[in-house]
Amino acid sequence: MDYSNLRRQAASMKKSLFDQGYLDEQFCQVEDLQDEASPNFVEEVVTLFFKDSGRLMSNIEQALEKYPRDFSRWDAYMQQLKGSCSSIGASRMKNECMSFRDSCGQGNVEGCMRSFQKVKREHAVLRQKLESYFQLLRQAGPAGAATRPVM
Amino acid sequence: MQIMARRMIRVLLVEDEEINRVVARAALKAAMTGDGGDDDDGHVLDEAENGEVAVQRVRAAASAAPYDLILMDRQMPAMDGHEATRRIRAMGVTTPIVAVSSDGLPADVEAFIGAGADDFTSKPLTKEKLGNILSKFRLA
Repeated sequence: MDYSNLRRQAASMKKSLFDQGYLDEQFCQVEDLQDEASPNFVEEVVTLFFKDSGRLMSNIEQALEKYPRDFSRWDAYMQQLKGSCSSIGASRMKNECMSFRDSCGQGNVEGCMRSFQKVKREHAVLRQKLESYFQLLRQAGPAGAATRPVM
Repeated sequence: MQIMARRMIRVLLVEDEEINRVVARAALKAAMTGDGGDDDDGHVLDEAENGEVAVQRVRAAASAAPYDLILMDRQMPAMDGHEATRRIRAMGVTTPIVAVSSDGLPADVEAFIGAGADDFTSKPLTKEKLGNILSKFRLA
């Protein structure tokens, strides 16, 4: 197994996530918090993000249905989701959250509905991309394995 | 040479979202540890998931082991950060309170300072932001 090649692929995948705007600097901040005592910190935080954001999106979906035109409630829920996105640097998703909140501010129901669909799409895409990224990282092994022989 | 024992800093993190608590916890540890990689990072962190629990914790700690720093989120169930800050100040507690909010709107900052907070920082909390806060209040 060519571990160094896998690591290069992972680095390239990560760069692409930044270049395409899926992630921002905050993701690097989270990475910097990973250390020997918490070697899987980043993946744990990302896993927690998707669990958390799934719940928050479900709350928003229910609120959109059960509380029509309750922009204040919708905005409050979306602010929570936006905060969660900010924690891991989920930039594109965060931007769609902000669009939703703008629509709330304008009293624009259609705008809210459109933005929420975009939030859901960005969530799904980010989940798929980060799952692939972490899978590749796991295959690549820890950085200290750089001396493993090429098979 | 006599080595001074490092005083443990007591911090209360008031935040309802678990992911924000996880990141803040790690960032605070990193900010306290610094580049030295010292295992003894010199702090005790308590957490409260809303303002009501925060007020209870502060009240309980006040006489025995008061907090050195309170990091206070704004939007929380049961009791928000503004109200929790007001109530903590009403108890006569002078611990530095740093408001933490993702919006950072001037009205939000003013409301927090008006309630008795000493400073404001934006979410998400990072090692750098916490390092600056600790320095500002002479806790590191």
